[in-house]
Order: sequence, then C-alpha cells, then structure tokens
Amino acid sequence: MELTTPGVATLRRDLDQATRDAETADVALAASGDGRAFERLYRSHVARIHSLAQRMTGEDHADDLTQDVFVRAWSKLSTFRGEAAFGTWLHRLAVNVILARRTTLGTERGRYDDSENVLDGVASRPHTAELSLDFEAAIERLPDGARQVFVLHDIEGYRHEEIADLLGIVPGTSKSQLHHARMALRRHLE
Amino acid sequence: MSDTWTNRLSEYLDGELPESERATLEAHLRACADCRATLEQLRRVVARAQALDDTPPTTDLWPAIARHVGVVSLDARRARRRLSFTVPQLAAAAVALTLLSAGSAWLLLRRPAGARPSQSTTTPSPILTNVGTYEANPRYAAAVASLERVLAQGRSRLDTATVRVIEKNLGIIDRAIRDAQSALAADPANSYLNLHLAQEMRRKLELLRQAAALAGART
Ligand SMILES: [Zn+2]
Repeated sequence: MELTTPGVATLRRDLDQATRDAETADVALAASGDGRAFERLYRSHVARIHSLAQRMTGEDHADDLTQDVFVRAWSKLSTFRGEAAFGTWLHRLAVNVILARRTTLGTERGRYDDSENVLDGVASRPHTAELSLDFEAAIERLPDGARQVFVLHDIEGYRHEEIADLLGIVPGTSKSQLHHARMALRRHLE
Repeated sequence: MSDTWTNRLSEYLDGELPESERATLEAHLRACADCRATLEQLRRVVARAQALDDTPPTTDLWPAIARHVGVVSLDARRARRRLSFTVPQLAAAAVALTLLSAGSAWLLLRRPAGARPSQSTTTPSPILTNVGTYEANPRYAAAVASLERVLAQGRSRLDTATVRVIEKNLGIIDRAIRDAQSALAADPANSYLNLHLAQEMRRKLELLRQAAALAGART
C-alpha cells in the first residue's frame, strides 16, 4: 500500500500544476468573456505589473498605466496561445504598453536628458538627504534611459539584446546605461 | 577614485567581458582597491534590485478596469438580463434549470411577472461572447482533467463526508452543464443559456480547484 500512495511531494507538484492549469483555464474563460475569471487574473498579477509601471515611469503614472495594461490584455486575450506562461505574456504586453507611453511621459516630465553629465550629477551628489533616499525612490529619480535599462535588466531579468530591441538602442548603449545606473544607485543602498 | 577599468566593472560582474579583458581586469583588481570596493558595491546594487518586493497599487484599480472592458458585476448583470429576456428564452432556460436547486439563474426565473421583455441593452456585455466554445476548449478540458487527477490521488486524505459533499455538488453541476448544453443545441444563439453554461463550467472548475487544494493540503 505504501508504495502506491503518492508522496506529499508528488501531490504538491500536481497541485502546483493544477494551479497553473486553473490559471490557464481562467485565461480561456476570460478570453470567452468571463469577467470574473479576468478579475482573478488581475488580482494575482496586479502587484507585479504595477511595480513594473511605477519603476519604469514613476508614481504619478503607475495606476493609469496598470489600468491600460489590463484593458489591453482583455482585448488581446484571444491572441494568447499558451506558449509562455500567462504571467510572461502579460509582462511583455506591459513592457510594450509602458514603453509606448514613454515619449509622451518623457516630454511631460521634462527630464529627457540622458547625457552623461546628468548621470554623473546623480552619482556624485553627496547630500545627506540623498543618502537616506529609499532605494525605490532612487530608481525613480534616475534619468529615463538609465532607469529603463536598470529596471529591465537588473529587476526584470531582460538581456541587453532584448532591451536594445525594445528601446531602439544598440546593446553597447544598454550596457553603459546599466553601468551608470548601478553606479548612481550605490549611494542609496542603505 | 576611478580609472579606465571602472567603467568595465558592470560587464565584468555580468560575465560579459571577453576572456582576454577579463584576465587583464582581474589582474588590475588585485592591485586596485578602489575597483575592488566599487565592484563590491555594484554587486550589492544588483542583489538589492533582485530582492525588491512587488507592491499592489494603494487603490483598487479593478472597478475602473471593469468599467473600461464592459464587465459588469453579477448583481448589475442580473438586473439587466431581467429586462432583456423574451418569453421563449425564459422557457428554454427553464428546461435547463429544472434540476438546479439554487443559483442566480434560478433566482432570476422567480422574478415577479412584471419583469417584461424589452429591448436589449445598448452595449452587449462581453460576458456573452463565444461561450459556447468552452466545451470544446482543450485548455478547459485539460484543467478539469488535471484537477480531477489531483483529487483522485488525494481522495483518501479527505473524510467521507467531505467527499460526499464534493461529489454531490459535482453531480449537480455536471447535470446543469449537460442540460444547458442540450438546451443550447436546440437554441444555439440563446445568450442566457450561454451565460448559464459558462457559469456552471466555471463553478465546476472552482469546486474542483477547492477540492484538489483540500486533498493536496491534508497530509
Ligand atoms: Zn582600478
């Protein structure tokens, strides 16, 4: 009898699989127009998407962009084929929505200047207030280019080639932006 | 403070330096305390970035999203439907629901006779689109099968009373699904029946999910 009883690990694994399957089913249900299934998807993914939006564009636009991502996701659900996990698909969609908005935002916020001077300024400003800045806030204060590369590479795990594609830059630029961002953020570690 | 190698430290950290440069930089690191210190700080920045927590928005964005995509809450949906039914639709629905002891659909049929049919709402709810395709949906079928398997394996961990309740409820839902399907076969465009079928299929999934979680959690 002992031998035929599935172990706890097996059950757990099956349960994880079942949870994933349930999400996949929710995607199918939502694609068929089921609002409650879509709400479940929203609830389980909103924190990740909102954090991404906030880090990429700042607090002021995060809510708005998050809404936009989910509205877009709803209308594009029928194109989700399940090759990737739903979370991955949604994340890609979010990055696209956020980046599509960045030109407007950049102009609006009047900080489109990605020159090295600006970066050096951020890196070497030794005010005590700066030192105690929360790490998240420090990320938001990076110039647009450096911030986007840093968020995509170090937080979200994208590679330089992918980032270069997304941002319309060359991989070398992505690498140097990343380095500048990291150098600037050293001061906000604690 | 900074020398020609400082700007290469991130690439070094990410393992992206060509072999020859890597060796040269490593030799430099042994001699340059500044670069060693900077490298350590960069390492901590990366570690910090990877450890950041995601936080949900402070206000619930769902109501606004729901409005945007045209999803209405269940209560609002009931109120709307009530006004937009035709008598043949109600008759067809009644066939589907004879065996159902509870649920929104049943309550809906017991509305006072004053709820007369009228023109349908101007914006059709997306709730009703393509619902009939579920039954053929392989993902739905796979999810149900997977949950049933978990449940079968963990079944011995549940007490008999729980198993009985689960099976009874599954029986009711399966019957409702079959009835809705056969009623739909006679009236495929019936939006009420489509909605009803969708609800029952989702109920089945939710029940299975709960039961499987129960069976998996009892160790
Ligand atoms: Zn050095």
